[in-house]
Amino acid sequence: MNIPGARSSSQSGFIEWLLQRLTSVYVAGFAVYVAIVLLVCPPVDFEAWRGWFGSGFVRLGWALFVVLLLIHAWIGMRSVFMDYLHPLWLRLSVLVLTATGLLALGFWAAAILLRVAP
Amino acid sequence: MGNKNKRPIFLNLLRIRLPVTGVVSILHRVSGVLLVLLLPPALLLLDRSLADPDAFEACRRLMSTLPAKVLWFVALWLFVQHFLNGIRHLLLDLDICIDRKCARRSAWLALAGSVLAVVAFGILR
Repeated sequence: MNIPGARSSSQSGFIEWLLQRLTSVYVAGFAVYVAIVLLVCPPVDFEAWRGWFGSGFVRLGWALFVVLLLIHAWIGMRSVFMDYLHPLWLRLSVLVLTATGLLALGFWAAAILLRVAP
Repeated sequence: MGNKNKRPIFLNLLRIRLPVTGVVSILHRVSGVLLVLLLPPALLLLDRSLADPDAFEACRRLMSTLPAKVLWFVALWLFVQHFLNGIRHLLLDLDICIDRKCARRSAWLALAGSVLAVVAFGILR
């Protein structure tokens, strides 16, 4: 079967492999940044917490973090399912469920990020 | 997808004795899946803490209860474990620390580091 845009078997999975590593670098780096902020100057009250969260670059950082984390989560869950779920119907259902769930989390996070806009 | 060659499959988990590199490898997967499952409650906490001052205080009170603290420390350990072993995987991809001796040592280091981070956080906070 000739599928347009299909990758040859030697390349299949390469994009996912690469994306998993690239996303991990940003997610890890941003996590360290958030950990340092929370340890060095923890927000004392609601105003401080929302003030930090709502500021432009922090919000942009979070938005990027959410998108890249969800891509990372998707590729990770996908490889686990491909290894352990063998009946095709089961694998497909679980993949669809996971994709829906992750997408919903993404929209929820987007709503939060838009709400805290200054 | 079909298993064409007839290699023996030996997957009795109680009879397989994994080397430490194998332990951290499976732990990386398990922690990854569990961290994904922890995303909804984490996002709910973020949502509520940013809603209004009362909800923020409710979150703070919730986080000071024992079950929440235990869950928080488990989540922290899962994350640090996944984080350190992830760095280890990135280095392995770059052919750094690829020989067996070094790979084993770095696996122990990732395990010890994650436990140490949780203990340090428990003392510091």
